[in-house]
Formats: sequence, structure tokens, C-alpha cells
Amino acid sequence: MELRKVIAEIGITTLVGADLAREVRGGYCSDLLSDVLAHAQAGDLWITHQRHLNVIAVAKLRDVAGVVFPRGLRPSADVAARAQAEGVNLLIAEGTAFEVAGKLYRFLHP
Amino acid sequence: MRWWRADLHIHSTLSPCASLALSPARIVAEAHRAGLDLIAICDHNAAETGRYVRRLAGATPAVLMGMEIQTAEEVEVLAYFTDEESALLLQEELQASLPDIPCDPELFGDQVVVDEREEIVRHVERLLLAPVDLPLSAVVRRVEDRGGLAIPAHADRVPGGLLAVLGLFPEGEWPLAVEIAPWTPVAQVTASWPGLGTRPILRGSDAHYPEEIGRAWTEFYLAAPTLDELRAALRGEGGRKVRPGPELKEGR
Repeated sequence: MELRKVIAEIGITTLVGADLAREVRGGYCSDLLSDVLAHAQAGDLWITHQRHLNVIAVAKLRDVAGVVFPRGLRPSADVAARAQAEGVNLLIAEGTAFEVAGKLYRFLHP
Repeated sequence: MRWWRADLHIHSTLSPCASLALSPARIVAEAHRAGLDLIAICDHNAAETGRYVRRLAGATPAVLMGMEIQTAEEVEVLAYFTDEESALLLQEELQASLPDIPCDPELFGDQVVVDEREEIVRHVERLLLAPVDLPLSAVVRRVEDRGGLAIPAHADRVPGGLLAVLGLFPEGEWPLAVEIAPWTPVAQVTASWPGLGTRPILRGSDAHYPEEIGRAWTEFYLAAPTLDELRAALRGEGGRKVRPGPELKEGR
């Protein structure tokens, strides 16, 4: 499923839209970056509360489709700038991680 | 110069998760039992016990003021200072930014400041085992601006380890060294995290019970057991050296 369709369907907003044509294949929820490095799959939409700059490096290394910050959390400007430079999509959801994951799951697995 | 044995990660009665037996008097007695030359008391977001341990310890062991700071990312960082004022000012700033969660002793344990005469100075009401409202980079800056040394605590460990939480080293020079968990073999850390480069590896006991003091240690080849000498050793200056003790085989 194309990321832009996912964004429209599950009601999240784009902070950095580096490549909204990315294919979303699944999702992953974790705030532990070592866990994400070990287990996230390419094409996952990664939902995390973690906003350290390393999020961008990990997103890039795992080739995730994008990073979603729940509860309206916003990363700092340097994180957004790095995402732009590295071509990593950053998204913001007003709902909780549980709500975002639920909506994403239902949309990907109707 | 000579080798000095250091355990730079010891909790006290002030950490809710640590034993109420860890008074300054007991800490000093256990440090003598373990043959430690240099110690640091690192409570969660708190430095206060260090001043009382210092008053008791006299010349041996040397006592650095310390703290285990939990950053907004939930990374745990050990901070070391020479002077009490710098440590206590930072403690004050950090504690003011903690979430306002009362420490329920039934759930978390007690947070008690005990002095060198085994008297209770006060109870800390707000839960210390929580993240401060500052990201890692800001915490490191605060520590260094006050003349301190910041080292990631048990970097390989979940919860709280820098490498476990953030997956990779942050960009830049920091940290000068990393502490690893008492039970992790050094070879495992260097194999898992090539980003470590040539940074020295330290081992501390992370003692939460008296008998755990000195169960893991690091030896430093220094002229004197001071923070400046320690920093120079971490940089490998003037023939100073660092040698982590062996991993703990059991009791994890």
C-alpha cells in the first residue's frame, strides 16, 4: 500500500514527506532502537515515542517506509532536517501508539 | 603511578530500588572489604549520599561525587564530579524537571538520605526513578559545563543502556568511554558494537545490595585517584591506563 494512501486513510499528518510513494508492507512498534535494528522489516511503518537523532539512522538502516510519532509528539528541528536530508518520511499522529497501530493493521489487513 | 581498583557505580538508600542497608557507613565498610581504592555513589538522578560517604571514608577509598541520570530518551548516564557543589546544583536542576510522581514505598521502595552517623536526613517525596525533562545531548552538556564526566551506564543493557535504547552511538566524540553490565564479556560488546572504536570499556558493580559492592570493577593506572587523572586515563594520556575487571559469572 502506498504511504500517501495510508496517511489519508489512518489520519496521520506529514512532517517530512521525503518519499510518499513508498510501499508500506507492515508496521512495527518499539521505542528501543536496538530492538528495531534487530526486528523491523523493510517497508514497515515504525511507530515510536523515541525522538533522538538516532531514529533517523535506524530508520534508514532498516529501510522502513516511515516513522510515526504518536500522541502528537514532534521531534526537534535537527531531527526533521536530518530526515529530509536522508530521505526518511516522518509522520505525526494525534492518537496513541495503540490507536495508530490498530488503524494501520485494520487498513493493511482488511 | 600505580593501579587503583575502582567501583564507580554504587547505589545507596537514596535509590528506591536499592537496599535500605546501603547507608554511607555500610558502603565504606563494604568498599574496604572489597579492596576498593576509588568509588562513586550513583543514585538515580541524585548525588546527595556522596557527601556523607566522603566524610566517613577519609583517604581510602577516594570518593567521587556521582549520579545516574535518566535522560528523556530513557538512557542512563553516569555523571562524576570532584566538588559537591557542582553535583548538588545539577541534582537540584534535574530533580525539578522530573515528572511529578510521588514515590510510593510499597511500589518502588524508599528514597532516604542517610548521613555519616546513620541518621535519616530526609525522605525524598518525588520518584527519582524517572526520566528528567532533558534529552541526552543536553544532559551531557550540563554535566560537562559543570566540570563533570558523563559516561553511559551499562551501555549494553535493557533497560537504560545507551546502545540498547539508541541502537548506535550518537554522532560526535562523546562518550569518552562506556560502562558495560557486570555480567557482559568485553569481547561480546566489542563484537556487537563496532562503533565503540577504541573507547575504553569500564565495569562497575551497579550494586543495589551491600554484598554487591565491588562484585565488578575497573582498574586505573594513575598517579592519584582523582577525576582529572581518571579522565586522562580514559584519553590514554601520559602512560595512564584502564583495565576492566572480569565479568560476573552468576547472580544476574
